[in-house]
Amino acid sequence: MIDLKELILPKDNLIPLLRKLSKDARLVAPVKNDHGDTLFTAISDLDTTEIDLANQPQASLKPFFLPQQETLAHYQISGDTYQFTAPKAAEDTIFFGVRSCDLTALLYMDLIFSKPAKDTSYYDRRSHSLIITLGCNQPFANCFCEATNSGPYLEYGYGLQFIDLGDRYYVSAGRGKGADLLKKWGYFFCEVQEEDQRIRYQLFLEARGQFNRNIQLAHACHKLQKEEVPEEIWEQLAERCYDCGGCAYVCPTCTCFSVDDKPQSRDSGIRVRSWDACTSGGFTRMAGGHNPVDRSRHALKRRFLHKLKYDFASHGKASCTGCGRCVDICFGGVDITRFIDLLTRQENP
Amino acid sequence: MQDILTICNYCGCGCGVYLSVDNDQVVGSYPSKNHPISRGNLCSKGWQLHEFIHSDKRLSSPLLRKNGSLQEVSWDEALDFTAAALMTAKQQYGPDSIGVLSSAKCSNEENYLLQKLTRAGLGTNNIDHCARL
Amino acid sequence: MVGLATSFGSGAMTNSIAELEEADVLLITGSNTTETHPQIGRNILRAVDRGAKLLVIDPRRTDIARQAHIHLALRPGTDIALINAMMRVILDENLADDLFISMRTENFIQLRDYLHRLDLAELAAITEIDINTIREAACIYARSSKSVICYCLGVTQHTCGTDNVQAVANLAMLTGNVEKKHSGVDPLRGQNNVQGACDMAALPAVLPGYQSLEDMSIRARFEAVWQRPLPENAGKSLTEMTHAGKDGPIRAMFIMGENPALSDPHLHRVEETLEQLDFLAVSDIFLTATAKLAHVVFPAASFAEKGGTITNSERRVQLCRRAIPPIHDCRPDSEIIMELGRRMGCPGMDFDSDAEIMEEISLLTPIYGGMHYDRLAENHGLQWPCPDRSHPGTEFLHKYYFARGKGQFTITRHQEPYEKAAEKYPFTLVTGRGSYHHYHTATMTRNSRRLVREYPQAKLEIHKDDCRRLNIADGEMVELHSKRGIVRISAQITDRVKPGTVFSSFHFFEVPINQLTVSAMDPKSKCPEFKVCSAAIKKVNHD
Repeated sequence: MIDLKELILPKDNLIPLLRKLSKDARLVAPVKNDHGDTLFTAISDLDTTEIDLANQPQASLKPFFLPQQETLAHYQISGDTYQFTAPKAAEDTIFFGVRSCDLTALLYMDLIFSKPAKDTSYYDRRSHSLIITLGCNQPFANCFCEATNSGPYLEYGYGLQFIDLGDRYYVSAGRGKGADLLKKWGYFFCEVQEEDQRIRYQLFLEARGQFNRNIQLAHACHKLQKEEVPEEIWEQLAERCYDCGGCAYVCPTCTCFSVDDKPQSRDSGIRVRSWDACTSGGFTRMAGGHNPVDRSRHALKRRFLHKLKYDFASHGKASCTGCGRCVDICFGGVDITRFIDLLTRQENP
Repeated sequence: MQDILTICNYCGCGCGVYLSVDNDQVVGSYPSKNHPISRGNLCSKGWQLHEFIHSDKRLSSPLLRKNGSLQEVSWDEALDFTAAALMTAKQQYGPDSIGVLSSAKCSNEENYLLQKLTRAGLGTNNIDHCARL
Repeated sequence: MVGLATSFGSGAMTNSIAELEEADVLLITGSNTTETHPQIGRNILRAVDRGAKLLVIDPRRTDIARQAHIHLALRPGTDIALINAMMRVILDENLADDLFISMRTENFIQLRDYLHRLDLAELAAITEIDINTIREAACIYARSSKSVICYCLGVTQHTCGTDNVQAVANLAMLTGNVEKKHSGVDPLRGQNNVQGACDMAALPAVLPGYQSLEDMSIRARFEAVWQRPLPENAGKSLTEMTHAGKDGPIRAMFIMGENPALSDPHLHRVEETLEQLDFLAVSDIFLTATAKLAHVVFPAASFAEKGGTITNSERRVQLCRRAIPPIHDCRPDSEIIMELGRRMGCPGMDFDSDAEIMEEISLLTPIYGGMHYDRLAENHGLQWPCPDRSHPGTEFLHKYYFARGKGQFTITRHQEPYEKAAEKYPFTLVTGRGSYHHYHTATMTRNSRRLVREYPQAKLEIHKDDCRRLNIADGEMVELHSKRGIVRISAQITDRVKPGTVFSSFHFFEVPINQLTVSAMDPKSKCPEFKVCSAAIKKVNHD
C-alpha cells in the first residue's frame, strides 16, 4: 500500500481531465450508440459523445487486444513471395470505464500471451494501454464477480480505479503509468477525507450484497479438483449445445484462435488469426477424421474444465471472471452457471 | 475501425448484426444486444458472416458468352446485350415467353423493382422466387 | 402460404418471435428449429425451461425432437392423418373451443361431420404412431389457451402441402388458439427475405401486398403509378418455368440471386430447360451452377455492400446498412435492374435511393403504408401490417377478426405420397437443410473455413439397423439411387432417422441430391415434394 496513491476527483472535473488525457492518447470508453447498444468506442469528440457508465459494455476489452480477425501476413503467389505485415503500430490508448471483471480478464490474457514466448502483437497493444476501471456499486443483472473474486472493486492491476461516491470519484492509482497520471494532473484532484474512506467502504459492502445470482463457483472448483463430473451432466449439457461458439466469443478470457490463409484473388491473399471455440467438433478433429473428443457427449467439457479445473489448478484461480456475458445468450440455456448449478446442487439437494 | 449495424444475410430470423469494417474490409461480425431478435448472440453462421464477403470466388466483372465461353466485358456491353435479348424474345415469342426469378436473398426494394420491371417493362406475370424450396 | 392464406386470409407468421417464449404449449411440426432457425429455437427452449410443454412432429429424431415431451415420429407424408386424429380426439374429449368456433369461423359443421366418420385406430395406423401418444399430445395442445404451432418446409414440401397447412390451421381454430398473444400458427420462413420477396409480389399471381391481379381498381392504381398496362393472366411458377423442358414456352430468363440448378427438384430437367433457352442472364455474387449456364452474368454487390430493407419471419421490416462500397466492379441488384429497365424503355426506373423506392412501395402497398426509412431506423424495424405513419406495427395477426373475415375450416384428407417405397427402391429419402453450419446451396457458407471445418461434406443419415443389415460403415461412400438418378455420398450411422428412412441435405454441389427427388408438386402452392421419394442404397465396389 506504500506506493499507492489515493485522491478525490469531483465529477465536474471528469470531462476536463479526460480531455487532457485524450490529447496524448486515444480515449476508449463505453458509449451507447443510436441502436441502443453500449459498446467500447474510440471517442474523438468529448462534447458530442456521451460516455455511458450506467450499462455494461456489450463486449469486453478482448476485441481491442485479440481482435476477431487479425491480419498476420499478405501473400502474393507470383514469385512465391510472402509479405509479412508488421502488426499495426499500436496506438497509445486509455480505456476508461472498464469494469473490474474485464480488467481481471485482461490480466489473465497477459498470462496466456506471455507463455512460452511473448506474443508480439498482443504485447505491443498491451504495453501501449492504460486501463482506468470503474468499481461496480450496483452489479448488472447476470454478474457474479464476487464468486470469481474479480470484483466488484479491485486491489491491483489497474492504472487508475474510480469508485463513484455520488458527486465525486474516489480514485486509486496503480503502479507506473497510473501514478504518473495522478502526479501530472494532480490539480484536478483533492485530498481524500476520512469520510470518503468510510463511504467507499460502505458502498463496497453494499455492492457485495446486491448480486442477483448466488453462484457456487469456489465450491465447484474444489469439487472438480477432487472428483470426476458425472457423465450425465456432460451429456445433458452437450445435448443442448448448438455449436454457435457465442459463449467463447463473448468470453473475455477465451483465447482460442486459429490461423487461416484466405485467398482474396487468384494470386494473392491474407493470413489471418481469428477467434475459434473449443466447443466446436472440428476443433480437435485430426487428419484422417479421428476425433479424440465426442462432441455429441462432451461439447462443453473442455471449456468448463479449462476455466474451472485446469486454470484453478495452475493459477489458483478460475478463469471465469463472473462478467455474466455468456449468461442468457446461450441458445440451449447451458451456460457456465447452469453447469455450476448442476454440479453443486447434486451434492446439496 | 467502424461497426455498422445491419441484418444477417442467412435465415428468416433476421438478427441485428454489426459488421466491423477496417479500411473497407469487413473483418468481423458480432450480434447486437439490444436488437429484439439477436439479443446478444448469433448462430455459427452469423458469427462467421464476414467470411464470404471478400472471398476470391466473388464475381468481379460482367461476363458475356462469346464463342461458347464466358468472357469479361464492360457493364455497358453486358447490359445492352441483355436488354436487347429480352426485347427480342418479347417481340418474337410474346411477353409470356420470358421468365424472371427474383430472390429471397435480395432486398424488398430489389424485389419490388424486379417485379415492376417484369410486369410493367416486359409485360408478363412470369415472376417467382424460391419461397417453396 | 396458399394454405394458410385460404384458412386465415394471410400466409404469414401470426405471432412475434418474442411471444414464443411465453407460450405454454409449443407444437413444432416439420421444422428442425434449433438448426434452421436458431433464435426461434432459443425462445422455444426458454419456454420449455419455464415449464412449457413441447410437442414435436417429425419423422426424424432431430435436436429439437430430443428436447420434446412428446415426439410424434410419424411416417413421412402422413401429417394430415395425424392432425385429423388429433382433432378427432379433441372432439371426443370435448376440448373444442365452441365459442371461438361459432364467433370467428365458418364451415365447422362439415369438418366435424367428416372427422366423426373417421376411424381413429386407422388414422393412427397410417401414421405408425401409438394411438395413446396421439391422444396425449392432442389433449396437451387443446387444454392450453397459450398454444403455438410452428411449421416449416417439412409440412409444405409435399404434394399435399397446402392441405397439410390447412389441417394445421384447422387444429388451431378448433381449439381457439389463434387471434391472441402467445397462441397462433407460425410458418417459419427460410431465407432472410423470403417473407419480403412474397410481400413485394415476386410471385406470379398477386401484386405487392398480396393485392389481387383481378381487382380493377387496384390494377388502375398500379397502372397510374407505373404508367404501363398490367399483364392480365397469372404467370408461371418457378418450377413451371424451370421444368418446362425442351421446347417449353419460356425462351428467355433473367435470374437474380437464385440457384435453381442446385436447389430445384429433379435437377436434370432443370439443366435441360435452362440449357435450351435462347437467352439466360444471371445476377449473383458467385459463379453458381446456374450462372455457369448463362449467356450474361452480372457481378452483384453482397449484402454488406448495399442498403435496402428485408422482412423477417415475424413480418418485421428491417433496415440494412451499407458497410463498405461494392468490391471489384460489382453493383447492387437495384442498379442492375434500373439500368436494364431504362435500356428497355420501362418508365419509373430512375430512383436515387432505396428510401425513394420504399416511398413508392408504401404508396402502392397498404400493409407497408407506414414503412418509412426514418421510422425503420429508429425502431429496429416495424412489423406489417403498418398502414400509415402513425401506426406502431402489428405484433400478432388476426386480432378481433381474421384477415379474410372468418377463419375457414377446410376438410383435409390423407393421401399417400407421390412415390411409394417399392421392392427396387425400398428406402424413403427425405431431403432438407441438414446442417446448422450451412445454408441452402452453401454458396456463402462454404467460403468460411470454420463452417467447412465443422461440416466438410454431404452425409446420408441411415439408421444403425439398416447399416448393420447392409454392412455399411460410418463414413463409407455409398451410392444412392432413385428412378431419376444416382449420387455418391458418405454414410452416417445414426438413430436420428427411423429404419427404412434416409435423410440428406442439398447443400453440396458435389452431391446434387435433388437429381433424385421427384418434381411432383402441390397443385395449389406449386411446392415440390422434396420430403418424400423412394430410393435404394448400394455399396460402392472398391475392387
